[in-house]
Amino acid sequence: MELREKLIILADSAKYDASCSSSGSQRQGNFGNAHMAGICHSFSADGRCISLLKILLTNACIFDCKYCLNRKSNNIKRAMFTPEEICTITLNFYKRNYIEGLFLSSGIIKSPDYTMELLIKTMELLRYKYHFGGYIHVKAIPGASEYNLQRLGKLVDRMSANIELPTESGLKLLAPDKNSDKVEKIMHYVKNKRNKNFVPAGQSTQMIIGASKESDLDIMQKSENMYHNYNLKRVFYSAYIPVNQDKNLPSLLTPPLKRENRLYQTDWLLRYYGFKVSDILDKDNPNLNILVDPKASWALKHLEEFPKEINKCPYKELLQVPGIGVTSAKRIMKSRQYFNLDFADLKKMGVVLKRAKYFITCNGRFSLNKDFLNSHFIEANLVLEDKSPLKENNHQLELFHE
Amino acid sequence: MNKVYVYDGTFLGLLTLIKYLLSSKIKPYNIVTSDYQENLFLEVINPHLKVMNNISEIFYKMFDKATMKRVYYVFLSKEENKEIIIYYYLLNYLKYGYALHRMRNLKCVSKVLEISRKVGNEAHKLKGFVRFRELKQNILYAEINPDNDVLEIISRHFKKRLKNEYWVIKDVPRNMVSIYDKKDFYLVSGDDVKIIFDLSESEEEFSKMWQDFYRNVAIKERKNDKCRRNFMPKKYWPYLLEVRDEL
Repeated sequence: MELREKLIILADSAKYDASCSSSGSQRQGNFGNAHMAGICHSFSADGRCISLLKILLTNACIFDCKYCLNRKSNNIKRAMFTPEEICTITLNFYKRNYIEGLFLSSGIIKSPDYTMELLIKTMELLRYKYHFGGYIHVKAIPGASEYNLQRLGKLVDRMSANIELPTESGLKLLAPDKNSDKVEKIMHYVKNKRNKNFVPAGQSTQMIIGASKESDLDIMQKSENMYHNYNLKRVFYSAYIPVNQDKNLPSLLTPPLKRENRLYQTDWLLRYYGFKVSDILDKDNPNLNILVDPKASWALKHLEEFPKEINKCPYKELLQVPGIGVTSAKRIMKSRQYFNLDFADLKKMGVVLKRAKYFITCNGRFSLNKDFLNSHFIEANLVLEDKSPLKENNHQLELFHE
Repeated sequence: MNKVYVYDGTFLGLLTLIKYLLSSKIKPYNIVTSDYQENLFLEVINPHLKVMNNISEIFYKMFDKATMKRVYYVFLSKEENKEIIIYYYLLNYLKYGYALHRMRNLKCVSKVLEISRKVGNEAHKLKGFVRFRELKQNILYAEINPDNDVLEIISRHFKKRLKNEYWVIKDVPRNMVSIYDKKDFYLVSGDDVKIIFDLSESEEEFSKMWQDFYRNVAIKERKNDKCRRNFMPKKYWPYLLEVRDEL
């Protein structure tokens, strides 16, 4: 098989992994380096960032996960790269500045450790033979030995494993060969061993959204636990795209992109805004509001805590205001030491006033008539103003870029 | 009459003029390069200052590093009145010191922060959007069309990244070329360089593979053209191998 044909098959099989970030590592090689902030090199027709050469070593697999295009019971064309072929494509793409590095994953052939050996061989060639200094993200194979995790981890910037589904029962139903223990064993190992020479950019994971029956509460609780237990950099949420037919899979017309978007927003609230899952979701309300983003939903339920006075309220509370992000909250904190902020100043700081105006005062003043400030009025307006219902979150965000 | 001062169009030339204006306590109406538009109501003064050798050292003593970087980025921008914005920003810095950049209520501050961020963002984007073609004799060649003059910023990036390759980047609208000889890069006018656009043997193969990859990595059920154009404006497409055929 020609190299070009292999690339087409093995890129096609790898595309359902949402992760493409290339940040968090500083590395300098004879050929290439890693950029701390990460760099997007292109954007595909679906609007997702292309930063890394995202491919599988092989799409042959001994597992039969129901949702996966590459499951062994599917009758599709199979291909496999040699480690040298992966090096050739990576180095030539990198040299032409198409990519920031390599994101290599693989179906499982023969055994987890046999597959790991091939991944390790590839990374050794790249780092030692070709002195490649670009970014490498590799998916560790669940069930691999600690010895092989150790060897692979010291060659790459990021090593991670996908949990795929938030509950064990979901896994049993859809991925009978997988179990979360094997995946979490990898996470645990990476967390304990991580240092500047071992997986310096940390680990991430991914969950498929909408392939099984779990609620948003199940999903976000799983995320919260994983962030807490394994210091994950990111959890990615990937709207389920029906690639297979199966009695255990839902039949969807379109992938649940809006739900995915709301989960990302909630994830952001956990990581940067000081929220806990229990602030947003509980047993009686186990799913996110599709019409209003989770921060605004929370604010509408806690109107008694508003308005916040921009010139006085603490940083933590600024972050609770819809329309104020981490960057603008920091700018407000710095600026208000020097002068009193008014609504016009807030605009210059990047505050989204059309969302924030219901929840703040500047020097005691509202920007609109107080009589309108009830939750029905505000909610209706927020929904009407949300003109970008499909804004994607899975590109690399440059946070705190000051 | 309103006084307009002329400088030589270089960054160090601008600093030299600003130093002169600050020490002689002159408040200019505007600062322009020699190709300014004549206007009856303006008095144009060209002090023909010789650029001082140590001018950047003087400025680095008067202003902190972050301020100088911001001012340099504003200088690289396409903003029309960037010189006078820089002048007022530095003038206010002498009054308020380091706290100045927190004072977004001052117009010169919000302008400088906004423009320098735009220039920084474009430079960052282009670090990804540069597409090298491999020419014979292993020279990597790329053309770009940035809004702002970011050629030097991205050259510094590629000097680290592709330090053992020969590369050339051409800013097409400005007709400026950056040439890297495995030691350092040099910015020269496009008129002084002749590039023989003769592709290497493997170039077609890899650029085709890249286009294959680009097409196959997209998930068609998630097609979102608006989002793509948001992150990758059409302006850059003529120089992006993977999308230029879609134009």
